[in-house]
Amino acid sequence: MTRDSLITSENDVDIGLEFEGLEDEVDTFQEEHERERHRGKRRDGERAKKKKRGNGEGRKRASRAGQEDEKLQARGEKKGRRKRSSSDQQAEGREGDEAEQPTTKSSKAAKTRKNVKNEKTRKVEKEEKEDEADDEERNAKRKNKHGSNKKEEIVEEGNKHTVREKAGEVKKKKHKKVVETSSEKETSEEEDNEEEDSEEKEVRPETLTPEELEALKEAVDERKKLIQGLRGKPWAMKKKLVTLRESQEFVEKYEGALGKGKGRKLYAYKVMMTKKWMKFKRDFENFKTACIPWEMKIKEIESHFGSSVASYFIFLRWMYGINMILFCLTFGLVMVPEALMGRPYGTIPRKTVPRAEASSAMDFAVLWDFGGYAQYSVLFYGYYNNQRAIGWLKFRMPLSYFLVGVGTVAYSYMVVIRTMARNANESGVGDDNSFNFSWKMFTSWDYLIGNPETADNKFASITTIFKEAILEEQESRKDDNIHLTRFLRVLANFLVLCCLAGSGYLIYFVVRRSQKFALDGLENHTWWERNEVNMVMSLLGMFCPMLFDVISALENYHPRVALQWQLGRIFALFLGNLYTFIIALMDEINLKREEENIVKFNITTWEASLYNISASENSTAPPVTIQPADVPRGPCWETMVGQEFVRLIISDTMTTYITLLIGDFLRAVLVRFLNYCWCWDLEAGFPSYSEFDVSGNVLGLIFNQGMIWMGAFYAPCLPALNLLRLHVSMYLQCWAVMCCNVPQERVFKASGSNNFYMAMLLVILFLSTLPAIYTIVTIPPSFDCGPFSGKKRMFDVIQETLESDFPAWFSKVFSYASNPGLVLPFILLMVLAIYYLQSTSKSYKEANVDLKKKLQTQNEENKKKNKLAALKAQVDLEEARKAASPSAEHQKNNNASPDQEADEEEDRGRSQRMYHSKNGRSPPPPRHDGHLPATRAPVPRNYPHGNQGSAGYLPGFPRESEARMHRVPSLQRH
Amino acid sequence: MVSPAIALAFIPLLLTVLIRCRFYFVLFYRAVLVRIWRDCVTGLSREERAYQYVLTHATPGDPDSILDAFDVWCSKVEFISTIGPKKGKVLDRMLMEQSPLTVLELGSHCGYTTVRIARSLPLGARLYSVEMDQRNAAIAEKIIRLAGFDDDTVELIVNPSDEVIPRLRSEYGLERLDFVFMDHWKKCYLPDLQMLEGTGLLGKGSMIVADNVLFPGAPKFLRYIRKSGLYEWKVHRATLEYSRGIRDGMAELVFQGIK
Repeated sequence: MTRDSLITSENDVDIGLEFEGLEDEVDTFQEEHERERHRGKRRDGERAKKKKRGNGEGRKRASRAGQEDEKLQARGEKKGRRKRSSSDQQAEGREGDEAEQPTTKSSKAAKTRKNVKNEKTRKVEKEEKEDEADDEERNAKRKNKHGSNKKEEIVEEGNKHTVREKAGEVKKKKHKKVVETSSEKETSEEEDNEEEDSEEKEVRPETLTPEELEALKEAVDERKKLIQGLRGKPWAMKKKLVTLRESQEFVEKYEGALGKGKGRKLYAYKVMMTKKWMKFKRDFENFKTACIPWEMKIKEIESHFGSSVASYFIFLRWMYGINMILFCLTFGLVMVPEALMGRPYGTIPRKTVPRAEASSAMDFAVLWDFGGYAQYSVLFYGYYNNQRAIGWLKFRMPLSYFLVGVGTVAYSYMVVIRTMARNANESGVGDDNSFNFSWKMFTSWDYLIGNPETADNKFASITTIFKEAILEEQESRKDDNIHLTRFLRVLANFLVLCCLAGSGYLIYFVVRRSQKFALDGLENHTWWERNEVNMVMSLLGMFCPMLFDVISALENYHPRVALQWQLGRIFALFLGNLYTFIIALMDEINLKREEENIVKFNITTWEASLYNISASENSTAPPVTIQPADVPRGPCWETMVGQEFVRLIISDTMTTYITLLIGDFLRAVLVRFLNYCWCWDLEAGFPSYSEFDVSGNVLGLIFNQGMIWMGAFYAPCLPALNLLRLHVSMYLQCWAVMCCNVPQERVFKASGSNNFYMAMLLVILFLSTLPAIYTIVTIPPSFDCGPFSGKKRMFDVIQETLESDFPAWFSKVFSYASNPGLVLPFILLMVLAIYYLQSTSKSYKEANVDLKKKLQTQNEENKKKNKLAALKAQVDLEEARKAASPSAEHQKNNNASPDQEADEEEDRGRSQRMYHSKNGRSPPPPRHDGHLPATRAPVPRNYPHGNQGSAGYLPGFPRESEARMHRVPSLQRH
Repeated sequence: MVSPAIALAFIPLLLTVLIRCRFYFVLFYRAVLVRIWRDCVTGLSREERAYQYVLTHATPGDPDSILDAFDVWCSKVEFISTIGPKKGKVLDRMLMEQSPLTVLELGSHCGYTTVRIARSLPLGARLYSVEMDQRNAAIAEKIIRLAGFDDDTVELIVNPSDEVIPRLRSEYGLERLDFVFMDHWKKCYLPDLQMLEGTGLLGKGSMIVADNVLFPGAPKFLRYIRKSGLYEWKVHRATLEYSRGIRDGMAELVFQGIK
């Protein structure tokens, strides 16, 4: 109230011109806010006053509108254009209107002012008088209203001064009308207003009073809010863009104007710095994206082939990162220290090529097989010395070797599990089944596709998905084919199991036979028989997936699910192969250990004889120096295992690349160039171009990684080799995909498959660490090679370190800590903690689902409420129409109730109201709540020839509403 | 000596190939083996057997019944390469939309497609059907007459297509072809199309429909229409007639002329 009175007094004083435009603006932008406050006040039980005020206001408005519109006309009518159509037809009704004016309401008046274009000056003068007479009423009203109202007053004062001001007021009034009649067009009008205002007016912030500054600030905030929430608004895109631009311009313009003097400068500086900082952050983000390796390549592939193919490459990149770390660990902590600080090549037997092999040690065939010099180098386990500390750094080599071996595995576990957990979080809890068609409708497009051909494919696949889904829905209603599908799925799994069992038996059979051959001596057998195991394994690995693919067509799964099944099956197959390989390796290890025992015995006798010889020849002579190459040595099974793995990796890589070149590239070349002279269409017909085999490639990658984890302990070079392989295959496969493959016929999103890969990786990690740990724990290391030679078990190195490198108390503490009495409770505690965490996460999940449900029900309730409100409003409207005849007084009372209705609805929240009115879902209520008051005024206009009063009212209504219906879209077009 | 284990490893491949190509095997069995066997047993040609079946199972004068009888014979008894009911529906729709007055059919075989086209033609339209083989033409003639179409509606021309097309204007007095249907030798699609362009019978909006462009396939034809720019074209993808698993397509070309 104080503020209001202050304003009133201010109002009496002459007000400068410069205020006006600004206030106009503020008014425009603040309207929503103000209206709400204003309504709140109104509802505070001042009905009578309201009536009165409305009355006065209405008259005043009409009058002013009269003046101004005339002025406007004189000025060439900047914005009157769209009003004209309606005003022309209503102009004739003016007289009747005037007669009725005392009974009309405020918003009606707002309407009437539209038709004043052809108005007589006589009427204007009369109204001017009326205006003056109304002054007192206005003052009373002013106490209720504030903000916008105040500005209105101010403007009115200024009105008498210049044309300019009047134009401004017209704008504002138009805006006022908008607020009261219907919210549908308010934004567009707002924009119009603003545009014109910003053209005409100039703001001088120095001259602003604190109140106005406050208001301006609020307006700026409002705009900012609008910009933020614009994305969620149910408007047309064009409108959004326009609003955004306008708001941004406004904020830009007035943000700096806030604050005074020093504060203002500081504020402007702050704003500027914020902008700069934002820009920098954005640039930095861009830079970060540019730094991600192969990002562009993968994006390109994604755009051509959809996300399922891209997911493979992303997985490959992730794998590359992991291997980079593994490589850094082994290279930095094992290989480099040994190469730099360890004893050089040729100093001790384990670092020298034996005499027998020396002649062929540099042959390419031998090196390719990782024998010769490659075997006696840092690449393999056997080269490392069991010297406890090496070099001037006193680097604990054996300890480092052991810890790196354990650390790589531990790190891999950690990373895989962490990634899995993160992915699981991202996937969230979605009940995908409940809105099947909506999901398909709104989420099936893959927005990353940038290639027209793929887009066509995707389009086709979506169409088929819809067809299938509809068929499925029909069938599920019919409910008879589900048994057939189930039967087919079971049958398919049975067939696959048979296939797996068959291949497993075949491999087992072949391995048994090869052991027999090995006992006989490999030289007696043909090349085919010698390479039988490898051949059979690779053949089965090649053909069985094809068969699985064919069988999976029976199951009729969604391709994403089908891919997972396919992956699982191939996984089982490969696992069988891998474990056969490991079993064969174990046998070989046992053989080597037997050999080692014999060698050990021989060496003791050899040494004894050596000693005897030297002793007998010359007891005083220095001990004979023997070339390290001549010293007999054990078979060193660890190096053998490492070699096997390295060979396996190499041959696997070779196979992959050769398959890529022949199966994809050569095929593509043939199809492309033979097509000119072939009898059928090679491209569309039989051989065609190949599709990218996601499942096969992913599995290849995963199994490759499994072999790395298994063999890295015995061959420190493996991570390096793998890094090389991954690097090459990244480029090669990217190229091959882009150059020789066609997009899959059923392009699908791979959003859910990443975690599936991870799960498989975890399983493989576990399965590959099992044999490694088994060998480390159970088999004693070789006596004359490797960092752990001479120890009983490899992990004794820890104990040794504890004893000799740490103080006594530490080893004591450690021994206590490793006491089963302590370890077991600890494990128990861990299990309990895990159980607790799991159960809490479960309950959170449930809570999430509950919240979701709550949201849904709330939405539904809101909808119902809105509907009810609309219905009630309609009923009231009907009543109002019926009661229109009796008397003006009565009519007013009726009006009050729907108005209140509208108020309440408004209070429920702005967004809701917007939703209600903007998206046109329930046209009657919005038209009603703003429209009802407006409808009353124009009625007489439609019936110009003295048809005033009750009789003409009822039939007039529909015509009026029609006119409005036409007007609304035309407004929104701007 | 290759060990038996390696040979066994090829079994999955064999199975895969068998399952993948099962439709082709079935087609081979039905279209070739059964045909040879029936030829030997009955001493009649395939078309004659089809005619006998239609004669005994269909209502004379009713094209629908004749088409149905054909469909039953082709799907249940033996295989004969016609347009089939599914692609036939597409053809029907195109004819309904176009309602052409002059229609040229290349390769009437035993009259199934001829009846199908003639059935959906508007009043006063005329269909010229070209068949190279004398015996097939005789059968086709019988079938067409059986369906109740007279000489005014359907005119059967027994001659190779490459001889007929240049003479269409001079001998048959044609000014413009509204609709051309091709279902003869797949290798002749392209030369015949070019010949049609040469005669100038194709006007703006003339429609050319070619069956079996994917299987057995007419790649040169497809490549030509892709490149020529004279046509608006699309391929209706479907399966081969009377077979589920073999994909086939029907090319629909609308002549646009030189822009």
